[in-house]
Order: sequence, then C-alpha cells, then structure tokens
Amino acid sequence: MKKYITLILLGIIALSSCHKKDNSIDGPSLNDVYGEFGVISTLDQNLDSVDFAAGQTAYFTAQMSKIIDWKITITGQTTGAVKEIIGTSSSLNQATTTWFGETTNFPVFGIEICDVQLTFEGESDTLTSTIKIIQPKLNPGFLISDFESGFNNQWTSFIQAGADMDFQIKTEAGSPQGNSYYNMAGTVDWDYLIGYLYFGASAYGSAQMPITGNGDNTYFNIMIYGEPGSINTILLFQFQEDDDLSGVFANSSEDTYSLEIPVNWEGWKLLSVKYSDIPCLVNGQPSTPNGNGQHNPDRLNQVNMLHLANPVTGFAKTKVDYIIFTQNEPLKP
Amino acid sequence: MKSLLTILSFSIAVFTFAQDGKKVQFVGGARAVMSNMDFQTDEIDTVTPGKSAGGYALIDLGFRINPNEQTEILGMIRIKNDLGGFWGSNVAFDVRQLYVRGVAGKIVRYQLGNIDYKMTPYTFYNHNPDMLLSGVGTLQIKEDILNYESFYSRKNTWRQQGAAIDFGLAFPKIIKDVKFNSFIIRLNPSNLSNIFERFYGGGNMVVSQSNYFTFGLNHASIFDLKATAASDNPYKNAVSTITFEAKLDKDKWIVGLAGETGTSAAGYAQDSTQLTDFFSNTKAYLKLKELNLKVSAGYLDNGADFRSAGAQSKRINYNQLNTFYSRYTNSQIDRQISMYDLYNDPTLYSSSISEGIMDYNPAINNALPYGTASFNRKGIYGEVQYQDTSEKITLEAKYYQLSEIRGQGTTKLRKYNFLQTTAQVDLMKIFNMRRHMDIEAGLSYQRTSRPSEIEFEGVSLKSASVSIGAQYELVSKLFLMANVYHFESSGNDLTPIRNTNDEIISFAPFSARNYENYYAAGLKFNFTDDMYLSAFYESNLNNGNGLTPYAMNQFMIVYNLKF
Repeated sequence: MKKYITLILLGIIALSSCHKKDNSIDGPSLNDVYGEFGVISTLDQNLDSVDFAAGQTAYFTAQMSKIIDWKITITGQTTGAVKEIIGTSSSLNQATTTWFGETTNFPVFGIEICDVQLTFEGESDTLTSTIKIIQPKLNPGFLISDFESGFNNQWTSFIQAGADMDFQIKTEAGSPQGNSYYNMAGTVDWDYLIGYLYFGASAYGSAQMPITGNGDNTYFNIMIYGEPGSINTILLFQFQEDDDLSGVFANSSEDTYSLEIPVNWEGWKLLSVKYSDIPCLVNGQPSTPNGNGQHNPDRLNQVNMLHLANPVTGFAKTKVDYIIFTQNEPLKP
Repeated sequence: MKSLLTILSFSIAVFTFAQDGKKVQFVGGARAVMSNMDFQTDEIDTVTPGKSAGGYALIDLGFRINPNEQTEILGMIRIKNDLGGFWGSNVAFDVRQLYVRGVAGKIVRYQLGNIDYKMTPYTFYNHNPDMLLSGVGTLQIKEDILNYESFYSRKNTWRQQGAAIDFGLAFPKIIKDVKFNSFIIRLNPSNLSNIFERFYGGGNMVVSQSNYFTFGLNHASIFDLKATAASDNPYKNAVSTITFEAKLDKDKWIVGLAGETGTSAAGYAQDSTQLTDFFSNTKAYLKLKELNLKVSAGYLDNGADFRSAGAQSKRINYNQLNTFYSRYTNSQIDRQISMYDLYNDPTLYSSSISEGIMDYNPAINNALPYGTASFNRKGIYGEVQYQDTSEKITLEAKYYQLSEIRGQGTTKLRKYNFLQTTAQVDLMKIFNMRRHMDIEAGLSYQRTSRPSEIEFEGVSLKSASVSIGAQYELVSKLFLMANVYHFESSGNDLTPIRNTNDEIISFAPFSARNYENYYAAGLKFNFTDDMYLSAFYESNLNNGNGLTPYAMNQFMIVYNLKF
C-alpha cells in the first residue's frame, strides 16, 4: 500500500509544477508586423506657442494602428531651420517626441512659426500642424561671440596683405545662428597664415574667461563653414592658460593647447570638443605643455583663432559663428 | 564502513580492456561509394549540370592500444580519396578519433579526448528530432553512413572533446547504490581578444534506493572562463534537474511513474534579461510482461524560457545552404534542404553544441523541433510499445497533443498534434520461410493550428511522412531491397526571426505546398555482419514547394566494412 501511495504522491508533485497561462507574448505583436496601417488619433501637441528660453518644451502625440517608423519634421518658416525627430512605435508621446528647441540642420530656430510634419515609412499619410516659437532656445555656457553685436574692439586681429582679403563680420540669411557670422578669406602665397582673430579674456572684463568647469566637463563649440570647392582652410585654435593667475599669459611657463581643424567639408557644421581632449602642439606635433600640464579652462587667458592655408594651394575661405564653451555636454543648438 | 569499502568498485569490477590479451589491435572501417546523379527540372535550366558522377574511398584506421588491463588508447586516422583523385590529388588525411580511457584505482572510470556522452533528455541529450522515420533497405544504408560520418550512435549521444569520469558506490542498507557521472567539454577556444574560452560541464548522481525507487540529481552548465577574453560579459546556461522513477514490479505486470523536472537560467552576465524557467515531464507506464506490451501516458510542460543548449541543439542547422546542387534553374534559385538531403548529405550534419537557438524547418518537425526538451510546449502524450515474444512483430507508436505556453506575436497559442508510428515485421518468422524477409513501415503526422479570424494571425500547417522499406534474401546473404518514402506538407505558419540574443524581433511567413516521393530498389550482399556490398537505384521527386519541381535520380554502389 505504501508503494501505491508513493506513486500517487510523486505523480501529484510532478503534475503540480506546471505553467499557468502566460498572457505575455514572445516577439513583437503580429499586428505591428503585418497589420494594416491607420491613424487612430491625429497629430497633436502640448503647446501651440512655446518659450524655449523660459525652459518650456514641446512634445507631440499621435496614435497609429501598428508599430511603424515615423519622422517628425519641424521647419522654421522664417529661418528655414529644421528639426527632425525619428522613432519606431505605434504612438507618439512625451518620452519619444520632446523638443527642447534645438535644431538638426542649421540654421538654429528663431522667433518664428514652424511647420510640423509627421510622416510614416512606406505610407503616404502625412499629418501636419504648426507651432510658434515665442523665444528660441538659450544655450547655457560662456559665449565668446555670436557676432551679432559687431566687432569687439578689445579683440585683436591681423590680416595679411594678400589678395582678395575679406576678414569681417557679415550679416545675411545664411547665418547658422542669428543673422551674422565672421568671414575669413584671402590668398597669401608666401605664408601659411592668412589672418587671425584673438579673443582675450580682457574683452570680457576679467583676466581669465568666466568658465567654471574643469577640462573634463567643459566643451569648446564652434560653427564652421566649409567653402564648397575649396578645402584649403586650416583653422587653428590656441587656448592660452594663465596657470599662475597672474593676469598675463607667459608662453615659456604656462600651458597652450591647440586645436587644428582642417576644414574639409562643405556647408555649416557644428564642432564640439571636450576641452581636456585638446592637445598641446608645437609645429603641429604633440608636445609637452610649458605650464602645469593640466587643462584649466577656468584659467583661460586668451583664445586665438588663426586662419591658415598652404601658400601653394591658393585662395582659402571659411566662416565661423557661435563660439561658445558649454558645461557637461556639447552644444545642442 | 568495511562492508562499504569492499563494494566500492561494484560498477567497474568487470570493466577491463584487452580481454583477449592483445595489446595492440587495429579497428576501424572502410567504405567506397560511387554514384551517378541525374538532376532534372521542369523549369528552363541551361546552367545546372544535368548529371554528376562522383564517389570516394576511405579508410578509418584506428589503433587500439591496451598497455594494461585498465587502460585503452584509441587513435584513428582517416584517409579519404575522392573518386578520380589518385596520384596525390583530392586525398585527405584527418584525425577521426582520439581518446584515452581506463579505470583509475579500480574505482573511477575515465575517458579523455573524444567522448560520446549524454545525460538526461533535458540536460545533455541528442534528440535527433529531424530524422522522423528510420527504415530498412536503402534508407538504412544511407542513414548508417550519415550517422557514422556525424558521429551519431543512435543512442542519443553527442560526440564532443573533453573528459568524463564515473564511479559508483554500493551500500548494504537503505540505499542500494549511487552512481556518479561527470563531464567537461571545451566548446570553443578564446581568440585572446573578445571571445571567451567556453566550456560545457556537469554531472549527475543517480541513487537507486531499491528496485522500486530511483532518483537522480543532474546539472549541466555552459560557462565562459573569466579572464580569457578582454570582456566582462561572460555567458552562462545552467540546467539543474531531478530525475525519478518509482515502480511496482509484479509477476505479470510492472507499473511505474518516471520523469524529470528542473530549472534553467541562461544569458550574459551583464544583460538585464536573464532567461529563467522550469520544466516538468512525468509519465506513468504499465508493462504487461506476458504480452510484452508497454503503455505509457505522460504530461510535459516545458517553459517558454527554458533553455538547455545540450538538449536543444540540433544535428542540422537549417540556416545553411545545400552543398549538393545548392542552386538550380536559370535563375539559380536556392534549393531548400529536403528530406532526401537529410538522408543523402552527411555534410549537413553537425555535432556542435549550439548556445543559440537553431533554426528549424516547421514542415519537418514543428511540434517538437528540439526534441522532448523543446521549449514553450505543454501537453499530454502517450506511447505504446509492443513486441511479441518471438520478435515477429515490433510496434511502436507515440502521440503528442501539445500547445504553446506563451504565444508568439499574439496571446493566441499554437496547438500541435504529433503522431509517430513504426512497425517492423519479420516475415521469415511469421511464415517459417527459409530466407530473411523484413518489412519496416513508419508514419509520422504533424498538425499545427492557431485559428484566428485575423488572416495574418492564423496558422494551419500539416505534414506527413510515410516510409516503407523491405528487404528479401534472394539467395544466401544476397538481399533485394525496396523502399518508398513519401513526405508532404501544406499550410502556413510564421517562423520567428531572432537577433543574436535569441530574442524574437520579427516573423517570416512560412508557406508549405511541397511533397517528395522517394523510390529505391537494389541489391545488397552481406559478406559478414560487418561487411556488405550494395548497388541500388533511387529516384526522388520534389515539387519545389509547388513552384520549381525537380527530380534527382541516383545510382549508387556502396561498399562498407567495419573491423
């Protein structure tokens, strides 16, 4: 009898350990893969007018019948600035569509009305809306210049006596930020240097630039234009630190870090570099800094911007705009 | 204690080598195959050769060395020469087998090198789930060749490289005996960069409490050896199970309960999604001794996330192209792996343990694509085994009625019906004939369904295989062989597409409208039980899934010898 009971007990124990009905599914929903596409709720947004400068953000909502690749394209009616937000989901919500006022393609947005367009991969449906920017996004950080206020007389500039020299602030619609940028162009067939513009800390009312971060969380950002059909330009930035806080930079005993940028693209491009990644260069080769050897953006005494080009390659031209140091992350204009 | 020590070596007392006193023996086999293939398709095909002839001769020459009664060393090399490849060309030399085994201290059996190993159906087991039906005659010849070539012994073992030890203890009271088995296998070497040294190891302890009750603790685990790669994300797949069997053995019948239950965990150390699940498989059986009839019924419940690489690896990876007539027609379309290829091409088979989920062919085996250890299945099953006392008739039938536990892409679950039967009839014994005459017939039928009003959600797939093989001894040792095999599949399903982490990322429509017919006839002369010469002609018609039918007709001469 004991053996029969043992058999029965074993059977009960074994059969009791079975899976309950599982309401989850493996993989994506079949409806999302093979279902028919349709818009369940149309494009909507949390604000009709948004003040990015005040910290407001905009987001968009919509509901589709299946998971699909979608793209929101926001186009400034005045500036032509474009922001693209892409995703793959069956709904648009705050988590996936929040817009902080930044741009994808230059220029940056201004005070303007923007067209909003929602499109879907492989489908002809297009949903539209508009949103008004009351104030564009502010970018926290130390702005060296956006060239909107003209030439600062405390900057130092030098222009070689070459041909077709054109070093000046220009105001036109193609500016990536605001209306103005700094143009640098010319032909110098005896020297690499075409011209320079030095931004001394004194131009901002102190002996060191008002940057609070350290080298690892400070980013140097600049918008640079590459002239179509011309890849001659080399932009050289020199960052001179007042290591001993004397108020004066001494080249023999203090650090200079250099960023050499061959401008070999066409159109406007944002370049962001972590300050601690900027090397010390002597004649273009890595070298040992003369000062404390530490990246100290808070001791920056002067930033030099030199427009260089190989003398045998002829005319060189570039434009720069919106030179800014940011903290903790690269600039998101 | 003394009584215990005296019986320590109960399991290995009879385990000695070189019983005949020879210290060195030659073992191995030889085979010569000649074939002439005729390939035809109804489609316009001016690209694919219509005929191909080939063959090879090989010898597997092994040296079995017994330096003493407790040690055996086997080294086997293969010399293979493709037909027409004399004078040094197309000659291959290979090491086919290498191991050392023996008994240490008259207690522990060990084997190093190549090992053929298995544990339990849910830990380490070669389920061979794609070869649904076996048969006598020409199919048996072909199946024997591909099993030999892929190191499959029909005992559900995996051929691996590593080490294994086992020993046993016997007790005078309470427990009858305890057997310990363990193994370690190297799955892949490190590349000294980002790939770890990967091993597969485990073992079990089987306790026989008495003639009535046995249970075992089993564990198998794939693991990466830390610090062998510049990565801190090693992989692990651990499976722990309990096996048990309780039975009552009476004069006329035996009734019992047997099963296995356990858990698994799989994934990379730093991945947030570690797959863990459990399974349970229990069956009750009744054996009527006088009738030699065994009937069993069971219930299996394999969790959707149950992963056991050693039990879920397949011999055939369907994510590969045919190596023989891989493309045809002027469009050079892929020729899908067919049932005929499963019998014809040993190069399709692998003996590797796959950590990832291998692709399968729903038309061939959708119900249990990874054998009994297939994950995401639950349901009942029954088995009947019968053999009359004089072994004239042997019957075996299995039936599974299963369903998924977790839906794929939907909460609706697929349901599976799977029937598999074989019958072997010895007509010589039945009709008291002078010559041998054997017939073996088999049927395998599967149906998968997921009814739905939504078109893309519905699944309905049926497949059936029927095999009949016969051999008749015309004159002494000369057999006439004939075989017929029919396979057909129709319907639709959605097969999962998985990423490198085995997560389902999408589904691919699977549509089956295919059938295959195989006919073969030939002669076989058995020189001895281990040596034969055979010549046969076979014809395989494949409708190319209703799109691009083709036929493969082949004449083969096979000489086989084992020594």
